[in-house]
Amino acid sequence: MDLILVNLIDGLVTGLLLFMLSAGLTLIFSMMGVLNFAHASFYMLGAYFAFQISLYMGFWMGLLIAPLVVGVLGAGVERYGLRRVHQYGHVPELIFTFGLALLIEEVVQFIWGKNQMPYATPEVLQFTAFSIAGNSIPAYKIFMIFISVAIFVGLLYILTRTRVGMIIQAALTYPKTVEALGHNVPLIFMGVFGVGTALAGVAGVIAGPVLGTFPGMAFVLGSIVFVTIVIGGLGSLWGALVASLLIGWITTFSKAYNLRMEDLLTWLGFTKPEPIWDSAWRDMWSITSPQIADILPYILMVLILIFRPYGLFGKRDA
Amino acid sequence: MSAALELDGLKKSFGQTEIIRGVDLSIGKGERHAIIGPNGAGKSTLFNLITGRFPQTAGAIRLHGQDLAGKAPYEINRMGLSRSFQITNIFPKMTVFENVRCSLLWSMGYRYNFWSVVSRSRALTEGADSILEQINLTARRDLPAGVLSYAEQRALEIGITIAGGADVIMLDEPTAGMSHSETDYIVDLIRTVTTGKTLVMVEHDMGVVFGLADQISVLVYGEIIATGTPEDVRANPKVQEAYLGEALETH
Amino acid sequence: MTDQSTTDPTKPAQRMRAGSMAIPLLPWCVAAVLLLVLPFIFTANSAITIMNQMAITIIFALAYNMLLGQGGMLSFGHAVYAGVGGFACVHIMNMDDFFASIPLPLLPIFGGLMGMGLATIVGSFSTRKAGTVFAMISLGVGELIAACSVIIVAFFGGEEGISGDRTYGMPFFGVEFLQQIEVYYLIAVWLMISAALMYLYSRTPLGRMANAVRDNPERAEFLGYSARWVRFYSFVASGFFAGIAGALFAINYEILTEENLNTTQSGIILLVTFLGGVGFFFGPILGAIVFTLVQTVLSLQTELWAFYLGIVFVVTVMFFPGGLAGIIMMHVPAMRLGKLGRLGVPYLKTLGAGMIGCFGAAALIEMTFHFRHASTGDHEMTIYWTTFDSHTVLPWIIAIAFTVFGFGVARRTAPDLVDAWNDANTPNGATQ
Repeated sequence: MDLILVNLIDGLVTGLLLFMLSAGLTLIFSMMGVLNFAHASFYMLGAYFAFQISLYMGFWMGLLIAPLVVGVLGAGVERYGLRRVHQYGHVPELIFTFGLALLIEEVVQFIWGKNQMPYATPEVLQFTAFSIAGNSIPAYKIFMIFISVAIFVGLLYILTRTRVGMIIQAALTYPKTVEALGHNVPLIFMGVFGVGTALAGVAGVIAGPVLGTFPGMAFVLGSIVFVTIVIGGLGSLWGALVASLLIGWITTFSKAYNLRMEDLLTWLGFTKPEPIWDSAWRDMWSITSPQIADILPYILMVLILIFRPYGLFGKRDA
Repeated sequence: MSAALELDGLKKSFGQTEIIRGVDLSIGKGERHAIIGPNGAGKSTLFNLITGRFPQTAGAIRLHGQDLAGKAPYEINRMGLSRSFQITNIFPKMTVFENVRCSLLWSMGYRYNFWSVVSRSRALTEGADSILEQINLTARRDLPAGVLSYAEQRALEIGITIAGGADVIMLDEPTAGMSHSETDYIVDLIRTVTTGKTLVMVEHDMGVVFGLADQISVLVYGEIIATGTPEDVRANPKVQEAYLGEALETH
Repeated sequence: MTDQSTTDPTKPAQRMRAGSMAIPLLPWCVAAVLLLVLPFIFTANSAITIMNQMAITIIFALAYNMLLGQGGMLSFGHAVYAGVGGFACVHIMNMDDFFASIPLPLLPIFGGLMGMGLATIVGSFSTRKAGTVFAMISLGVGELIAACSVIIVAFFGGEEGISGDRTYGMPFFGVEFLQQIEVYYLIAVWLMISAALMYLYSRTPLGRMANAVRDNPERAEFLGYSARWVRFYSFVASGFFAGIAGALFAINYEILTEENLNTTQSGIILLVTFLGGVGFFFGPILGAIVFTLVQTVLSLQTELWAFYLGIVFVVTVMFFPGGLAGIIMMHVPAMRLGKLGRLGVPYLKTLGAGMIGCFGAAALIEMTFHFRHASTGDHEMTIYWTTFDSHTVLPWIIAIAFTVFGFGVARRTAPDLVDAWNDANTPNGATQ
């Protein structure tokens, strides 16, 4: 029972981190219809910028400044890149963001090299918040949960309670009408893109010390983020939240509990072929849940797409 | 006379709003039927229901006696119903000739054929060329459809619609946005290419309607308030009140 | 190989003579002769290795363009179909008795069928929608299969991959494919066959409807075609030819690993195809040739080649969405008017200066990289056959001077180039 609680917390941290990325991605997607392939690259930039800033001004200034820089960069990409490619259609847009992802990874390697950066959690948070049955929960994890929830609540508030949020929501569905009402829709687009990438930046800043700050970090998380929003339903913020948490918990639990395929198959009444090392099914028998934890989201995605093509919360004709 | 197209208690709601509120209509073989009505009466929705773009909420649609419920647009098309669009809907990057050729493929039995080269088929080439002849676009044959003038694109749209040889042709505002001379040209074109076929059209231009149609239905707020010959409809007081009156006032 | 009539419709050059009965044979004959004589011109073993690599990439890129260019479907996981085809072929190579009964040149058929089989399964749910949804599913499935390679060791061989020996096959008219050159001709023949089949496919009813569905799926549905099935068949066909490319890879290298399946590989084929140009049949061919050459040459010269490639790719997407083939075809109207020559000098001025600027900028990038990342005390570096100390000021001044000069001149002369371009594209007599 205690172990379950520990895993719930771990899964929540992963899930909320995923959500910070998928929320921005979803916002951008439902607004412009373009899936930002480079979204995770902005997350990586957030981590690297924060690391660089933390060398001179400490972790907290990094947390404050890095997302802003990332957001400005993101807005710039929208203004000078995407807007130009937009005229050619959605597929070139997607290809553009894909190229951007490649380029950002190369730029990061150019500036910081290929090795992992010694970006660490701030000393203030290097203590054990509490322990559950001998498993200590570091304060930094609680801090991560706190930040993500705060951002989510803030986002929800802005989107549903403020004037800007209303305009954004309207512009999501009726960009032409909103433009006719005198609002500067391109500016709103740029703003949303900037905020979305800044969110990814925040995720990078707080995840960098835990998951490692290295040139492959965008790639590692990137495809999982796409899977998340496909599972949740493209364009649905709630879907993104549910799918993020789902993936966070599924991967955490399957890593924590060593479920063996062998047991499952035996339970189902199959007999283990002997000798096992010579059987064509040997891999089937030796699979364990930690081994496949990282591909579970993909399997989940394929299953969802077969049985619910529009994702968990997707609208039928999104 | 057996009906080419029958609508039976057809209803469509979007959320709470009922757009089509029980339409009964029977269109005979070879009839030229125009559906008129004020803006927002649900004419385009009706079109989209019949052609399978949206599913209906209630009621039945029958084409030559066969129920169309749950059928996809391509299945309905294969059963012999073809439509044009209010907003020009062609393949802008393909040549005019290819636009027409593509619309011939299914009806000439090519289906998902991947073993014969289209340009080798004399029947296809001649078929497409003869359609081009009918819609007077032979001179534009090898231009990308996207560079044609608006009227030419509308003519091509009609060409694509009739090319497949469907016997029920549905035209959604074929003369929308056209000048007078262009309208006359398209009306003549429609008359020639739909000879012997069942024609259903939505149109705002009363000149076109009275010039082409031999039956008219008036759709107001999702209901048909009158059906009959142009003379009957013109004389119908309900129509006068609901539509023509308003049309006269606004024009 | 004429164009596919897919690019900018306002440019008369890209109008095709639709419906002409003849399929142009000349380019195919030229290609065949070239493939035949190339090994006599470039006799070195390394050259043949490069050419083999190139031919395999061409087939793969053409297969990829059946989706991207002709069907409008962007796949981020297409390496999987080539890879699985290749893995299947290595397994066949390792089935002693069976492999001894089939000649090696027939092996690619099995690879193709394997790629096709996988594409049939995946396509059954991934082709329901085009655009973003399709792209995301392709990525997810690609990642899934690539990740499986370390789990399903029996088929994928884990991290070491699996290897075989092509020479165990039944001798083909006495040829046992021990030599690189024999493999070259095997690949060349398959290149011709696959390219011709893919070209012909684009001319069939299904191929034409693939274009129609790409441009306007809704209209295609109202013409009797299910957009979904048209996409599905394109996907399956593309999977088949990707599988052939994978099989040829297996024959050439005799080993397949996880690298043949992963997203990097899928990304590369997207890059190759797009750089070559998706709008024309010959685009991917051009892309594959140029990419293989550049990769081979540039990767020997600089560690930063992927960085430059990234820049070129992003610039291409932004400014030349037609790719190399698009740029070439832009010049057809001027050529038809017989005024192509008028562009020569302005091109030389602007692009020449631009090149100098690029070389200067590249030097600056290389020097910065060396300055930052070279081991401490290592101040010596060599670029453009010149060795110097990267910690002194002079080389920096020279590089900056070249960059500024090059781009400056290019900018100055650009208006002349625009004028010359307009002039070359205006028929004589039709002066403004």
